[in-house]
Amino acid sequence: MTDRPASTTKNADEGGTDYLETIPYRVVAVYLPLGVFLFVLLFPFYWMTIATFKSNTELLTTEGFAALWIVKFTFENVERLLFQTEYPRWLVNTLFVTFTATFLSLFCAVFAAYAIEKLRYSGARLVGLAIFLAYLVPPSILFIPLATIIFKFGLFDTPFALILTYPTFLIPFCTWLLMGYFRSIPYELEECALVDGATRFQILRKIILPLAVPGLISAGIFAFTLSWNEYLYALVFISSSEVKTAPVGVVTELIEGDVYRWGSLMAGALFGSIPVAFLYSFFVQHYVSSMTGAVKE
Amino acid sequence: MAVIGESPGRMPRVTLGARLHNNNNFLGLLFMIPAGIMLLVFLAYPLGLGVWLGLTDVKIGRPGKFIGLGNFRWLAQDSLFWLSVFNTLLYTVVASVIKFGLGLWLALILNKHMPFKAMIRAIVLLPFIVPTVLSAMAFWWIYDAQDSIISFLLIQLGLIDSNIDFLGKANNARASVIAANIWRGIPFVAITLLAGLQTISPTLYEAATIDGATRMQMFRKITFPLLTPIIAVVMTFSVLFTFSDFQLIWVMTRGGPFNATHLMATLAYQRAIVGGSLGEGSAIAVAMIPFLLSAILFSYFGLQRRKWQQGGTDD
Amino acid sequence: MSKFTRRDMLKTTVGAAVAGPALLAAARSWAQEMKFTPEPGAKLRMLRWKRFVQSEEDAFLALIDAYTQATGVEIRIDSLGFEDLRPKAAVAASVGTGPDIIWNIHADAFLYPDALVDVSDVCNYLGEKYGGWYPIAEEYGIKDGKWIGVPFVMSGNFINYRVSWVQDAGYDGIPDNTTDFLDLMKKLKANGRPGGFALGNASGDGNAWAHWILWSHGGSVIDKDENVVINSPETIASLEYVRELADTFIEGAASWLDGNNNKAFLASDISVTNNGISIYAAALREGMTDISDDMDHAFYPVGPVGKPTEFHVAFPMLTYKHSDFPEAAKSLITWMMEADQYNQFLQGAVGYLTQPLRAFEDHPVWTEDPKRAVFQKASERSLSFAYPGKLGRAATEVFADFVVVNMVAEAATGRKTPQEAAEDAQRRAERYYVL
Repeated sequence: MTDRPASTTKNADEGGTDYLETIPYRVVAVYLPLGVFLFVLLFPFYWMTIATFKSNTELLTTEGFAALWIVKFTFENVERLLFQTEYPRWLVNTLFVTFTATFLSLFCAVFAAYAIEKLRYSGARLVGLAIFLAYLVPPSILFIPLATIIFKFGLFDTPFALILTYPTFLIPFCTWLLMGYFRSIPYELEECALVDGATRFQILRKIILPLAVPGLISAGIFAFTLSWNEYLYALVFISSSEVKTAPVGVVTELIEGDVYRWGSLMAGALFGSIPVAFLYSFFVQHYVSSMTGAVKE
Repeated sequence: MAVIGESPGRMPRVTLGARLHNNNNFLGLLFMIPAGIMLLVFLAYPLGLGVWLGLTDVKIGRPGKFIGLGNFRWLAQDSLFWLSVFNTLLYTVVASVIKFGLGLWLALILNKHMPFKAMIRAIVLLPFIVPTVLSAMAFWWIYDAQDSIISFLLIQLGLIDSNIDFLGKANNARASVIAANIWRGIPFVAITLLAGLQTISPTLYEAATIDGATRMQMFRKITFPLLTPIIAVVMTFSVLFTFSDFQLIWVMTRGGPFNATHLMATLAYQRAIVGGSLGEGSAIAVAMIPFLLSAILFSYFGLQRRKWQQGGTDD
Repeated sequence: MSKFTRRDMLKTTVGAAVAGPALLAAARSWAQEMKFTPEPGAKLRMLRWKRFVQSEEDAFLALIDAYTQATGVEIRIDSLGFEDLRPKAAVAASVGTGPDIIWNIHADAFLYPDALVDVSDVCNYLGEKYGGWYPIAEEYGIKDGKWIGVPFVMSGNFINYRVSWVQDAGYDGIPDNTTDFLDLMKKLKANGRPGGFALGNASGDGNAWAHWILWSHGGSVIDKDENVVINSPETIASLEYVRELADTFIEGAASWLDGNNNKAFLASDISVTNNGISIYAAALREGMTDISDDMDHAFYPVGPVGKPTEFHVAFPMLTYKHSDFPEAAKSLITWMMEADQYNQFLQGAVGYLTQPLRAFEDHPVWTEDPKRAVFQKASERSLSFAYPGKLGRAATEVFADFVVVNMVAEAATGRKTPQEAAEDAQRRAERYYVL
């Protein structure tokens, strides 16, 4: 792995035949559809962005073409969000809960997936299937019995109420995703290492994990995002403003009965998301490398 | 690690496997402990209780008694319940199929070489990152009956001459919430499948090209089969999450208009939490289990067990 | 649990008002002879719906602050959107943990009366002292002869309309009867100034107007003896009226939730709708004088039954039995509702909220701006959604299931004939009452 030739890495994710494609073909097959995808996926963000910087009166009137851009630019909404609510604090709370829950879930999932997929202990398949049971009762009901547990552990209104409950819906997914990636790692690699006297733990750490980096990243991104987005548990298990997560805080603070502070709400949606997107852009680069060198026959 | 390139002989494998079998059981147990503790402590009891509640007539703030299948007999005569079952199935099937199709397509595109690759991949994830409750509000607004930006643009372009009633007509509303769900779900499907695509060795394509295979053949014979296990996992979870979707509907329509977008999860919430009939609400949740189970089993037996690679693990 | 300190509370509620010296002095002297004595070392935690208007919250918190300083009872206030109170209240009632007091919405108290502290002493005391409770307050507060919640306020929901547009249609204001009202709505539509009422699952506005129209023609979900009678000629008559009325609505009202009509009205898309005072308040706040100057509020027109049939939203304060300090909770609520305090609170609420006690009817908040005038009568004119029966679990379940709203919406959009819609509603309501 470590001494993988640089040339292999360079073109690693190009599907191998890209060099055969002509320019017009690439425009039709790649750039055009990609453009449509990006447009559709990003249009709501454009909408959120202009809403963020429009004045409230301008948001309400849609006379003429003004709806599509900002006539009078204002920081009023952003200011309300950042200085008149505790948004920065909620973001910190959310990050703390999210990072911890993600780490915890990945930790549990790596071992579980390795055990199920590679150790194949008796009943592994059944356990793998049983893990799915976690999704059988939707959160919109599950939170009531879950609240009993949270209460018994005295976790109400602490970040741990979320850190310990989020993994219940993160671990099963991460485990299955990692099982999928672990399976793609040839058994022979492990056998060699076993012959050389490596322990299972060493194999996991030195061989499997480095090879499964894309899998870890996608599982991590998944877990991070789901914790980041979660609303119902965060609403029910947390009361104090200081402990609230961003989605709950924003909704609570910026909807007054039937009056929506649209600009600030949308600002709240954007401000939290864009840094995370940058974070992800750093991670997804790793998709490119790691794998390919090793799997080649 | 130096031996990676060489394929080891078949001989040691059998003996090694046999030798380590007992050991593996112990280690397997050990490795399962962290996940096991988390799930057993925080999920087993609530999950069991949630199912149990469905067999009782518990109301919020009032203990109930076991009534067996009473709730289900009760629900069987409820037209709103059946409507929600229909809505849920429609929502799940349509949204999942489209998410899969478009997600796979997007993944294939993103797998190509292009400038700003990492940035584009991160941008694609944006819809997934924004908290659902807030993106649902943005969509609620985009679908507004009076001030919809989509209606506005189409009118300006001369394509239509009156506002589209996105959420006010039963089928429009269904299509609109499904579209919002797809928008939210595509990035995840695409990025996860992309990770799967990355694991496919380029040499396979090179070899196929030398053999004169067409693009379609390469997709059908190489890409798709090798991607199947990942597809199975991703789509199973996509189906599970779509099936129990709640937030999106609750923000945008609250199940309306005329309950045309009420899903089982939202109806369960409405009955259990707003209406206080915890038993009945849980019964609706329990009624979801057969559907979820069949999705899981379909994925598990139908797709999961396909052989993955040579010397594969499904022996 | 987190520590309760006054500083924390003030820190977390940004822009919170602090009790002034006069209020503080009043609180200290009140505390000398208060009716209910808080338990020693009492601390309270209250969950309330998120304020509709800043000045109300400021007044509320100033009163709380004065109480804390005078009695030493530390109080922590958290707020949530009123729809989001539901899951919290459900957990509080079923798990037995959570805030001591929840300032809730509608008649949720009737879902879990056993989880609530009997507050009869508080309500009887206040009722005697302040001219008696309005009947609607008693309906929302009393179950089986016991007060299970303190009906702290009602929130009025009336017709909002654009004065000049209504005048253009040939009327001075909103007519007092449903026949002329229909005519007005038709003319407004013809003038290109349609009205609109929420037909989606909108728990506030949707329920308010749907119940009004049902009752105005003599229909109701149940009769006095709790028989489901919604499939009646009166109901069908009301739905036929709805059918005609809905033709005058702006496109898309079928999708409306509580917030949509606010937006449409402020965008000058509609001329008439039903709402609380929030549209007016938002227009004032944003300086949209073209709207605030040209709008007014009116009572709902009276239907064939010949008397007002309005639905306004109750916001009762519920004290939970799991609280360690029920006496402190009673003491706090009493403090808030004593004249000097309640007057300040009502002033801060600028018409959003209406008194449940008759003594506060002449509060200046109702006269200083004539556009608030109708809201003064919210408690007096409101019926409960169980009308003419009694509130209870079944009524609350029918209400939570949007049976009336759905029926009206289906008839309004022509998806079902009035007969079919009424039959369907009958079936749905019977599910809850046959038990």
